[in-house]
Amino acid sequence: MSSRVCKTCGCTDIDIDQARGNAVCMGCGSVLEDNIIVSEVTFVENSGGGSSAVGQFVASDGTGKTPVLGSGFHTTLGKESRAQTLLNGKRQINHLGHQLQLNQHCLDTAFNFFKMAVCKHLTRGRKMAHVVAACLYLVCRTEGTPHMLLDLSDLLQVNVYILGRTFLLLARELCINAPAIDPCLYIPRFAHMLEFGEKNHEVSMTALRLLQRMKRDWMHTGRRPSGLCGAALLVAARMHEFRRTVKEVISVVKVCEATLRKRLTEFEDTPTSQLTIDEFMRVDLEQECDPPSFTAGQRKLRLQQLEHELAKKIDEVQGEICSYQDEIELELESSRPKLKGPYASYAREDSSDDSVSVASGLPGNEDDADEELKAAAQQLTKDFYSELMPGAGEASRAEEGSEAESEQVVLPRYPPLASLLGPLPTAASLGLSESIQKCITEKDVDGNSENGELDLKGIDDDEIERYILNEKEVKIKTELWMQQNADYLKEQKEKEERIAKEKELGIYKEQKPKRPPKKREPIRASTAGEAIEKMLEQKKISSKINYDVLRDLDKKGSSPGAQPEETPSSPGGRKLSGRRKRNMAALGLGNPISSVGKRLRPLISAHVGKKPASSQAAKASAAVVTAETSQPVVVESGPVVYEDAMEEEEEEEEEPCVSAMQLMGGNDYGCDVDDDDGL
Amino acid sequence: MKIDCVCTSWYASVRTLRPDSLMEANNDVALDIIITNVVSVFRTRCHLNLRTIALEGSNVIYKPEVGKVLMKLRKPRITASIWSSGKIICTGATSEEEAKLGARRLARCLQKLGFKVKFTAFKVVNVLAVCTMPFHIHLIQFTKNNRPIASYEPELHPAASYRIKNLKATVQVFSTGSITVTGPNVRHVAMAVEQIYPLLFECKSTMR
Repeated sequence: MSSRVCKTCGCTDIDIDQARGNAVCMGCGSVLEDNIIVSEVTFVENSGGGSSAVGQFVASDGTGKTPVLGSGFHTTLGKESRAQTLLNGKRQINHLGHQLQLNQHCLDTAFNFFKMAVCKHLTRGRKMAHVVAACLYLVCRTEGTPHMLLDLSDLLQVNVYILGRTFLLLARELCINAPAIDPCLYIPRFAHMLEFGEKNHEVSMTALRLLQRMKRDWMHTGRRPSGLCGAALLVAARMHEFRRTVKEVISVVKVCEATLRKRLTEFEDTPTSQLTIDEFMRVDLEQECDPPSFTAGQRKLRLQQLEHELAKKIDEVQGEICSYQDEIELELESSRPKLKGPYASYAREDSSDDSVSVASGLPGNEDDADEELKAAAQQLTKDFYSELMPGAGEASRAEEGSEAESEQVVLPRYPPLASLLGPLPTAASLGLSESIQKCITEKDVDGNSENGELDLKGIDDDEIERYILNEKEVKIKTELWMQQNADYLKEQKEKEERIAKEKELGIYKEQKPKRPPKKREPIRASTAGEAIEKMLEQKKISSKINYDVLRDLDKKGSSPGAQPEETPSSPGGRKLSGRRKRNMAALGLGNPISSVGKRLRPLISAHVGKKPASSQAAKASAAVVTAETSQPVVVESGPVVYEDAMEEEEEEEEEPCVSAMQLMGGNDYGCDVDDDDGL
Repeated sequence: MKIDCVCTSWYASVRTLRPDSLMEANNDVALDIIITNVVSVFRTRCHLNLRTIALEGSNVIYKPEVGKVLMKLRKPRITASIWSSGKIICTGATSEEEAKLGARRLARCLQKLGFKVKFTAFKVVNVLAVCTMPFHIHLIQFTKNNRPIASYEPELHPAASYRIKNLKATVQVFSTGSITVTGPNVRHVAMAVEQIYPLLFECKSTMR
């Protein structure tokens, strides 16, 4: 407590009594302060009879945003957002965890994961339920409990793949390596659910052995572990003479019948299935089996090979016939006069074109031409053509109608053809260099398209014309489409009409995406009048406040003299009520006020000489609380300054307060409380 | 070991790009990377009236709820989603060249319908390729060796997925030895296969 100087005698010896709340000068005995503000923890009685401390916890980082209590009334007493999230998460984790019968250690670990997730902002944009489920599943995996992701999705009624996605993301972000699932973990759980009674343990052991055998036989990679478990348990049950039908097993293991049957068939294919029960228990076969997909692949390969062989045989026969044909034709040609030079092949090309159907592509044409020439050169020319002229090939394929163009394009390629038939390596290098050149030229062509012009090379206009319907077809199609989409068109019309109507009436609301509500700064004003004005500007119209009264408060400020009887209610009281008004303006304080108000009912009687005792006391107490908690709002510097203002407003408050109370029709106490709450 | 891409005009240039590291093994086995899908986008820089396209094209599906028209071409087998803003996405091509050709054809078709289309901002966005290894792969060991990059959830998907960040490519590895690679272009896809091959070789289980 600051040592002050007594006003009357100038003595510095001042005694402060905390119990009474007095500051008294030891020299002259004058009371300097009364009703000193206590800044200790105060307690409030709950409805249940217990007592809790009054106040809020504010984070030390200083970024705490205290929520506006008017809206956040029902949430946990104005805690900051992060604490709320964590509390909420913890509650959900415990709820889910108990349903899964996880022990407390697991739940705590899950909560730790959740805290880490919140720190890394992974809960943003995701449903809390998903994140919670992912944390729990992560714990299950690290601890090795027999819980499946399917169980969690069952509880939450969420698609398992969505949960899986969240889980994978969480594991990746938290850098936690969840160990791979071992199907052996699930055996005890499923065995218990299948109710084998006393033989439970034996059946489980058998099933485990089966599973291990399956693993060695490569049945478990890429498969759901629950499916394998189901198959193993089914076989084990049968081995121990328990009749468990496929349906029962399915309902426990949560796979479908087809999967189970498939696993059983696969197991059947392994050599282990041939052993008798006793043999199986004693002996473990050395050899490992191939995975079932492998055997399926092998089968396919074998079929293909068979087909190949058949095709080859046909080819051979054909080849013989062809060779005879070639010989005959050669003889014929040799008798004819030969054309030489590039135009020779041009002529050959022409003839072959006529004979072969238009639909075949250039390599096809060339092949036909070559086959007639030499059987040996066939393959070479085919390959090199495909290397050399893919671009030209496309062009000529596309422009089938305009042969002249294709031949012109093809023409410059022909000279290398002659050299191709000679030594191979040089031809190869030629081919490569040409294709590389083509690649380079294509890049130049690409440059054109950046202008935005459409490069028409390689596009067949005629074919594209086919894509566009003619008028008749358009009409028919329009009708059909209108019929089909009648509903949609109707809806669109109605919507437009509605919008037009609303525009006329002037209430047209454009559908804007929801923006997050703007956070308002606490009002800083030097006088209560200003504060009220600002509040009126900011806040939306509330129906429970008599605004005229509030506005009038400011105007009547000029009327003189505080009533002297007010003094016992003291400067403290007035100051506080002023602050209270300001706080009424800046922040609504629902809960503390009401609770505090109730508490102070007994205190009112203690204070003698307070006229509108109830109202003032309520305000005073409210203000006490607010003064403690909302320090920045308090203007320490000017107790003198606004004390005058307060006095004046105090007076007005007298009258309008009375009238306001009358207006409300009321009971002294309840009204005020309502008033506060209503804000 | 050679990697041959089955895509036509790029054939020769791919051969020249063959990496030396893979030339060391003299297994004389060739890995075929087969490109199954190429997705590309381009802009026509003009507003398109979807209703006109829908009514006058012979192979279109109009989806007014979503606001786009699906147009399918036969020659390069391509499906295009056309929006009224002029942005077009082409899917279904089997090579980058084919994708470009298909896109140009589509633009020509729209031009004929009467819109002043320009062919700009053509870009191949995604390439999907499949490849088969000559051996089976032990997925659990593979995931263990490449912990944070590879992830395997048998409950969710039978393949282990391996993401290569610098190439922006994803490889899905199946236990049979088949892998699917998706990446922004064919080059990256080839590089991804090169990168992942040694990792898969370590975890091989049985030869086919």
